[in-house]
Amino acid sequence: MDGMERLLTPSLRRSGALGWASLLPVVMLVCMVYWGIRPWTFGVVLAAGAIALLAPAVAADLLPVALIGLACVAFGLIGRDSVLPQGSGTTDGYPLHALVFGDGLPHVVDLSMGIVMLAFGVWLVPRTIGAHSALTKRNSELVSQVRRLTATRVDAVDTAAAELRRVERDLHDGAQARLVAMGISLRATERLIRTDPDAAVSLVAEARENSARALAELRALVRGINPPVLAERGLGDAIRALALDCPVPTMADIDLPGRVPAPVEAAAYFAVAEALTNVAKHADARSVHIRAEHASGGLRIEVTDDGLGGADPARGTGLRGVERRLGTFDGMLAISSPPGGPTIVVIEVPCALSSPKTSSC
Amino acid sequence: MRVVIAEDLFVLREGLASLLKEHGFEIAGTVADGPSLLHALIDQRPDVAIVDVRLPPTQTDEGLRAALEARRHIPGLPILVLSAHVEQLYARELLADQAGGVGYLLKDRVFTDEQFTDALRTVAHGGTVMDPEVVAKLLAKRFRQLPGGQLTNREREVLALMAEGRSNSAIAQRLFVTEKAVTKHSTSIFTKLGLPPSEDDNRRVLAVLAYLNA
Repeated sequence: MDGMERLLTPSLRRSGALGWASLLPVVMLVCMVYWGIRPWTFGVVLAAGAIALLAPAVAADLLPVALIGLACVAFGLIGRDSVLPQGSGTTDGYPLHALVFGDGLPHVVDLSMGIVMLAFGVWLVPRTIGAHSALTKRNSELVSQVRRLTATRVDAVDTAAAELRRVERDLHDGAQARLVAMGISLRATERLIRTDPDAAVSLVAEARENSARALAELRALVRGINPPVLAERGLGDAIRALALDCPVPTMADIDLPGRVPAPVEAAAYFAVAEALTNVAKHADARSVHIRAEHASGGLRIEVTDDGLGGADPARGTGLRGVERRLGTFDGMLAISSPPGGPTIVVIEVPCALSSPKTSSC
Repeated sequence: MRVVIAEDLFVLREGLASLLKEHGFEIAGTVADGPSLLHALIDQRPDVAIVDVRLPPTQTDEGLRAALEARRHIPGLPILVLSAHVEQLYARELLADQAGGVGYLLKDRVFTDEQFTDALRTVAHGGTVMDPEVVAKLLAKRFRQLPGGQLTNREREVLALMAEGRSNSAIAQRLFVTEKAVTKHSTSIFTKLGLPPSEDDNRRVLAVLAYLNA
C-alpha cells in the first residue's frame, strides 16, 4: 500500500462508521419495544451521531461509535430494571424524563421518540450507505489512477533520461567533434598563414566546412528536441509544417482556437510526426488526412491514410515511445488498421486550451 | 544598394553589416526586434532587407511576421529572410503574395559570401531565392497532380534551380547544357504547371508556387 492509498483509507473508514452509526436508531427502537428503554438513551445516541457527523476524527473508526451505542443500551437497561417497577411518586434514581414529564407520560414519550428515531434512521441509512459506496468507488478509482501515474512517471523519467543520453551522445560525436576539428584547423592556419598562405586558405575552408556541418547537425538535433515551428507558432502550424514535409500528399484540417500547454503540444507533435513517418514508410498511401481539434476538454488528433492497412498491432518501438509520452498526460493513442485500409491513428490528450493566440498580423 | 538588417544577436548583426560593406552595400539601418523592424522597413524603404525569422520581444516568428506585414503595406518590398532552420510552411507564406522579391535562406549560407550577396541582389531585383533545403523538401513530395502531366527528372532539376533563384544561364552552366535547352525545359515546366505564356520573370515564382500547391 503506498502513500495515496494510506491517505485515502481514514475517510473511507469514517464513512463506514457513519453508515453503521445510522443503524443505531433502528436498533434502539427494537430495544425500546422489548425492554422499554428510556428516551434519554436515545438522546445519548443522537449526541453520538452528532459527534460522528461534526467531529469526523472521533468517528474515524467503527469502534468508538459501537461503544457509545453499547453504553446507551446498558444505561437504558439499568434505568428500566432499577426504577420502572417502583412506580411514581419518587424521583430517587429515576431517569431524567420522569423529572421532566412526571408520571404517566413516559410511554407516550417513549413511543413518539421511537417513531422520530425510526424516521430519522430510515432517512439517514440510505444516505450514509450511498455516501460510503460512492467513497469506496472513488477510492478504487484513485488507487488505480495512482498505480497508472506511478507507472507513467517511471516511463517519463526513463524516457527523459534516455533522451538526454541521446542528445549528449549526438553533441559529443557531432558538433563538439566538429568544433575540435575547427580549432585544430585554425591553429594550423595560424602557423602557416605567413609561410604557406595557400595551405592556410585551404585549412580555413576546411574549418568553414566543419562549422557548416556542425550547424546542420545542431539543426537536426534541435528539430528532435523542440521543433522550431512548434516553438514559434504552436501545434496547429507545426502540424501544417509536418503535413507539407510529408512525402505523401497530406491535408491538415486544424481547429485549435488557442494554445495547448507546451508539454502536451510537444507530445502530440511527435505523435503526429511518428504517425506520418509510418505512413510514408509502410502504408503505400496516396493521401493522408490530419484532423486536429479541441473538443470536450481534450485535444483530439486523427491521422487517416488510404494505404494498405493491416498495420502491425504489436507496433514499432516508435509508436510505443509515443504512447508512453502521451501516457504521461493521461493521453492515449489508438490504431484502427483493417487489411486493405484505411488506417486511422487517433491521439487523445485531456487538456485545457489557453486563450486564443494573438492574430498573426 | 541600401540594406536594412534585422538580427538580434550582436555578433551576427555586426558580422553581416561588415560583410555587406565589404561587398559594396550601404547599411541603411540595423534593428534588433520586430516592432522596430516594421518601422525601419516602412520608413526607410530599403532596396533590400535581411530579416532573421526569430526576433524579440516574443522570440517566435516576429521577424517573419514583420516582413509579411511590411510587404502588405509596400507590395514587393524585397526581403531576404534568414533562419537557423527552413520550413516549407514559411516559404509558402513568403511566396503567397506572388509579388517576387523574396528570399528564404539558412543562416549558414552567409558563409559563402559570393553566393549570399548574389542571392541578396537577386532578391533586390525582384527575384525569388529559396534555400536548397526547402527546394529539396519541395521536390520530395510524391504523387503530385499537375495539370499537364508529371515533370521529367530534368525538368525537376531545372525547377529546383529556378526556385533557388538561379538565372537560365546559371542553370545551363550547372547542368552542363545550353541555355536554349534550359529555356525549352522551363517552357515545358510552365505548360505542365498550367501557367499562361508570358515574358514575365514572375512566372518563375508562380511556377514554384504552383508546384507547392500541386
